[in-house]
Amino acid sequence: MTSKIINMAERIKDEQDRLLESMFESAPIADNGFSKQIVKRIRRKLWIRRITLPAAVLIGGLVAFQPVVGLLKGVYQVLASMPIDLVPSLESSLPSLQLIVTGALILFVVMFSLNMIED
Amino acid sequence: MTACEDSQLVARVVSGQDTDAFGELIRRHQSHVRNFLRKLTGDYTAADDLAQDCFIHAWDKLQTFSGRGSFIGWLLKIAYTTFLQSKRKSKRYGEILDQVGHANEVDDRNYTVQPDEVGDLDRFLAVLTDEERAIMVMSYACGLSHREIGESMAMPVGTVKSVIFRGKEKIRTSFDIKDHQHG
Repeated sequence: MTSKIINMAERIKDEQDRLLESMFESAPIADNGFSKQIVKRIRRKLWIRRITLPAAVLIGGLVAFQPVVGLLKGVYQVLASMPIDLVPSLESSLPSLQLIVTGALILFVVMFSLNMIED
Repeated sequence: MTACEDSQLVARVVSGQDTDAFGELIRRHQSHVRNFLRKLTGDYTAADDLAQDCFIHAWDKLQTFSGRGSFIGWLLKIAYTTFLQSKRKSKRYGEILDQVGHANEVDDRNYTVQPDEVGDLDRFLAVLTDEERAIMVMSYACGLSHREIGESMAMPVGTVKSVIFRGKEKIRTSFDIKDHQHG
């Protein structure tokens, strides 16, 4: 109500105001699928955002799998070739393969969950 | 009533990324936004492209809508920013084409209408700057109050009033408005 009074007060019009208003007046523009087109674009955008991170993790995992396995094999070969009295202390300080895989899985699950929450 | 429903729809979009609710917001306001951009650009096709971009930006920024002002005022602010960005991009593109000797291909979205389509309103709008044109269209075509325009354009109400006054003066001096009224 108050805003209507303010509106009226600021629109004490002169002839030119009325002329301009009549000139600016135009028929409403029909939607004709305009809104549907934008909603479609937004849905596509959302879908792309949702699959980006999981897809990136999956592809990254596939690409990194072989080099990581090779690296771990190399580490164990180095450990195996070391003097027997040195190995136990090194083995205890290096994480086991099981631990690395578990850590990677936890990281993946956390990242995926954060992504879902963000969406 | 509509403002309340708008804010409810906005809340649905922000809380649950509800695209149907956003579709309803577009259906409600597309006419005003497209009309605003058509009057700013003078080019229907370019205006509708800009309106699409405007609604996509609105989707991305919807959580920044505070709900204090009107939703249409907030949308028109995004529409005006989208228009200015597009104009800047076109200008840069024009400069690049100019450098490689294709100046004729420049499409600087200045206020350009086809000569056979030029009406009185187009002539009036052509003498105004972008900012004056945007404010005049918001006021006279979209029916926004000076306060709403101030919020949209991030300027004090007094400045909005003086821009409208200046715009009217320009039109009056350029076209002898009194003769037009009676003729």
